[in-house]
Amino acid sequence: MSKTSLVRSSAISRRRFLKLAGLGGGVALIGACAAPAAPAPAPAGEATPAPESAPAAGAEPIVFWTPGGSAVYCQNFNLISKAFAEEYPGLTVADVQCGAGDQNFLEVLLARIAAGNPPDTTIIWDSPVSLAVRGALEPLDDLMQASKYSQADAWPPGVLASCQWQGKTYGLPTAAGTYAVYYNEALFESKGISSKREDFPKTWDELRRLSKEFTVWEGDTLKSVGYPLTMVGTVELNIFSALNGSQFYDPANNKFTINSEQNIEMMEYFLDWLNEEYKGDINAVNNSANWGFYPDSNGRPPEFQNGNVAMLSDGFWVAGDMYGSEVKPEAERWNVAQYPVGPSGSGTKSGYWPNWMVIPKGAKRREDAFKYMDYMSAIGIITWFEAIPDMPTNKNVDISKLLPKKVAEMRGEEFARDVLMFFYKQLDVATPMWTSPVQNFANDQITRMLERVYTKQATPKEALTEAQQACQAELEKVMKM
Amino acid sequence: MAKIALPRPKGSGSSKLRRHEAIAGFAFVLPWVISLLVFTAYPVLASFYYSFTQYSIVQAPKWIGLDNYVTMFTADPAFKVSVYNSAYYAFLSVPLGLLSSLGLALLLNMRVRFIGGYRTLFYLASLTPPVAGTIIFIIMFQPRGGLINGILALFGIQGPAWFTDPNWSKPGLILLSLWGVGAGSLIFLAGLKDIPAELLEAASIDGANAWQRFWRVTIPLLSPVILYNLVTGVIASFQVFTSAMVIGGTTGRPQESLLMYFIHLYRNAFRYFNMGYASALAVVLFIAVLLITLLIFRSATRWVFYEGELKS
Repeated sequence: MSKTSLVRSSAISRRRFLKLAGLGGGVALIGACAAPAAPAPAPAGEATPAPESAPAAGAEPIVFWTPGGSAVYCQNFNLISKAFAEEYPGLTVADVQCGAGDQNFLEVLLARIAAGNPPDTTIIWDSPVSLAVRGALEPLDDLMQASKYSQADAWPPGVLASCQWQGKTYGLPTAAGTYAVYYNEALFESKGISSKREDFPKTWDELRRLSKEFTVWEGDTLKSVGYPLTMVGTVELNIFSALNGSQFYDPANNKFTINSEQNIEMMEYFLDWLNEEYKGDINAVNNSANWGFYPDSNGRPPEFQNGNVAMLSDGFWVAGDMYGSEVKPEAERWNVAQYPVGPSGSGTKSGYWPNWMVIPKGAKRREDAFKYMDYMSAIGIITWFEAIPDMPTNKNVDISKLLPKKVAEMRGEEFARDVLMFFYKQLDVATPMWTSPVQNFANDQITRMLERVYTKQATPKEALTEAQQACQAELEKVMKM
Repeated sequence: MAKIALPRPKGSGSSKLRRHEAIAGFAFVLPWVISLLVFTAYPVLASFYYSFTQYSIVQAPKWIGLDNYVTMFTADPAFKVSVYNSAYYAFLSVPLGLLSSLGLALLLNMRVRFIGGYRTLFYLASLTPPVAGTIIFIIMFQPRGGLINGILALFGIQGPAWFTDPNWSKPGLILLSLWGVGAGSLIFLAGLKDIPAELLEAASIDGANAWQRFWRVTIPLLSPVILYNLVTGVIASFQVFTSAMVIGGTTGRPQESLLMYFIHLYRNAFRYFNMGYASALAVVLFIAVLLITLLIFRSATRWVFYEGELKS
């Protein structure tokens, strides 16, 4: 046989090589498209935990997602999953998918639901009602009824309301940070004012009078504040509305009540307060410093920890988080108190921001997933709390056994327990929140309303009416779907 | 010299070979064609269709005719705000960006030591991830203790509150957009390198000074590059998203001053789940940018000069 023929018979020609390469590429492309979708790996630097729990041979693990969080938060779920697998032989949970990498979590979740390939259960930080109305979540009532820990009466009604829509329940409010007013005891005492919790102002008028004591201007720059009104955000405004005997959305009648008389009264009260104590200039207040608990988007340090804020409302999580910034000696002694009541209100209220657990529509293992949610809400939440002190809401959890470690470390165990119990009891006075089917839209409209009122672009009545009309129109549009 | 007699392809063999080649060619472009159809053409067409529907991703779209467009122009105050903010941003950031990148390109075109290093340095900035770049600017623009206000203070000027003041947030965002001028400069630099040195020398011999050489020779010969940078700059400016989102969030704080059109579009799609309305916003943006681009191209006949072109 000639050399040429040898080459021809054994080597691959360039043309043939390219053909094979093209064919291989095509197969690879089709294979990639057809591969079963798996949780996308988080990019480097994201909090992707190391594998902790391996699925049992032959059993499909429950797929569990969470919208994000720190490495500690995410890794802790794998510990909980491992304990769950021991409690429920035959059931396993895959390593948690923490966040959606570079993408918006909700965007990814909705896409997966639409594609019929959602996780079996997930934590969400957006209102379940908004998703349920759009057909994205499974109702859970039958599962709750048959569950070990998650019957409807095992949850504070005001908090469970955040998961309910037209008589059905679409999620479990597994953890929920309640809100209260933090105050600086040393500042109070420096003015000869009692720093006892029970002596904290009981009405808005008392709060306003007290606030004025601490507000100091130097020209157009605010040096210290009593109660920084401009820090009352959308979530807290729901609480203030309840403190004045109203609400922004009435779930029973499925309509917005943003421009109720009490809400108009509330915004007029706030505007008057802004004019009297803060020169009517929200920009001057905001430009002077960051009056919150966290460094702001401009990198400014929080003034509460600098000892320049006497009183400020926020959630339970702040008790631990505030030590993320330097706490100056003059701010070391802080305490918490209930919200004062508005002129038309009848009693103190609180609010909350939950970590909801839900089962997306089309989840393949509905019952097993619910077992995991049930376990998480009553047992796993203890491990969860030890890593990240999110307040358990399920009544089967023995709250007295928990201790917010950071607060205990900084202020002693007794104070830490007292603060925990205080916030836990706030669940009992929690006003129903997060109940609107167009929650995000409404929140943005209320933010806009606040800005328009504080910058005098509209009167309280005009701004509230605009928000009311926009939200009601949006609600009606969604209800027609 | 004798001609080399090339073998003439025989009829049937030749067509078979051509057919095989065509098949191979199609096979090779197929992944790209599929990708174009599935990931570009389909979403564009689908978006156009969804703009006439009420669609929340999870449920099937419901045809509502022109309702989304009517709502947009008559009942959505945020639409007007976002159009104003985006137009303000585009009309200031694009010329400023063009001037800055051209100026930088002229500097980088000079014959000085380490010029390669300078070019790399200026281009590196445009490789910084947009979120990281924005955070750097937020720190630089801090009202108290920030670099910019620190420099202004040296001259006795009290700097503004930048991103917390609604009057200064957009100018701040425009200044931030200059962070990426390195990419535009590189294109200008390539254009500058293409200008024949003999033309500039001839102008010099004819007595033209530096400004006249720049204005009468460099700019006309650079005009196609200016056109390219202008068109891409306008398109990008109407799509500004990351920096505005990092600073102002979905509400465009402070006081909706950073509520850009793309943020309004995004929040409707993924925060309010109004995919149909967001699609309508996308269609309107597409038409608006298309019209502006066509307008620029139409005006280009007056000010863009192509080498070898004869003007009547």
